[in-house]
Amino acid sequence: MLRTPGMFDPFFVWIESTALNRWLVESTSVFAFPMVLAVHTIGLALLVGLNAALDFRILGVAPHIPVAEFRRFLPVMWAGFWLNAASGVLLLIAYPTKALTNPVFYLKLGLIGVATAILLAVRRRVLAEQIPAPQAGRVKLLAVASLVCWAGAIVAGRLLAYTYNRLTAAGGFE
Amino acid sequence: MANFQHWLEQTLRGADTVAALMQTQWAWPIAESVHFIGLTLLFGSIAAWDLRLLGIVKGVPIAAFHRLVPLSVLGFTLNAATGSMFLMTFPDQYIYNPAFHLKVLFLGLAGANVLLFYATTYRRVDVPGARDSIPIGARVAGVTSLVCWMAVIIFGRLITFYRPNGCTGDEAITFLARCFP
Repeated sequence: MLRTPGMFDPFFVWIESTALNRWLVESTSVFAFPMVLAVHTIGLALLVGLNAALDFRILGVAPHIPVAEFRRFLPVMWAGFWLNAASGVLLLIAYPTKALTNPVFYLKLGLIGVATAILLAVRRRVLAEQIPAPQAGRVKLLAVASLVCWAGAIVAGRLLAYTYNRLTAAGGFE
Repeated sequence: MANFQHWLEQTLRGADTVAALMQTQWAWPIAESVHFIGLTLLFGSIAAWDLRLLGIVKGVPIAAFHRLVPLSVLGFTLNAATGSMFLMTFPDQYIYNPAFHLKVLFLGLAGANVLLFYATTYRRVDVPGARDSIPIGARVAGVTSLVCWMAVIIFGRLITFYRPNGCTGDEAITFLARCFP
């Protein structure tokens, strides 16, 4: 739907005229667009890195760490999540047309949504203070699904640089 | 040092098979994706260990966290392989790039930190009685590791914004050349 040229263009044109967009796109400072990208990668490392460690632990790596102890890392993982929500919004403000007219962007968001829902489900099952009856098989399935979704989100995110149809609303097509 | 950089650039240029492969349509994006996945495996397993050293998790022996090392090794191997492929494709874009210089510096510091930790503090924390009292050396090693690996990620991400464009003739002479005349 959003690939249809013109439909959301007034919205894109408006964002692309805001002062924040202009600063992100035009500033030559390393603390503008480059540092937002770098922060987005730090958030990725904190959230997905620790979630992957948790997933591999559920699958049997490092068996002497009690799984429930990974709940101590949850605040760090949520810090990574919010860091990336914030830096992601800034990246979106910098290039709204580029992201929102690319189906791969929605795939990335969908995968992040599923992976986050899986983390919440895993938290309920194995990271609570009072652990409910063990469901080892189900949790292992969740761990595998989590790894697949995060890997997919990373690949989709990286491909955003190569698969976009339009860079800006004003810049026309291709 | 500039002569070493030039030698390294010329040597890496010899890997023209890798360079040709990397310049096919999807090879570069795939290698980048693998590099980012490797980054999460490496950083996540190391961060869990660092946070344990800092006392975020108590009552679990540090040796238990040691078993995450295979994940770190897997992540590091993926990234060393894909990283070498980037370097062999466009050696000058990295070898004369100040962001890449800083990335390598912090990689070295992270490596030195872990070696120093194993040579000194690890023996003192890897005993049953040491569960909840964390020596200051272990805390320093944990913070140093987190800071170094975050710096590696940040400067790695900044590489693309500091690509060298050859010499203009008025480059300041520093320890590392930013171009080769």
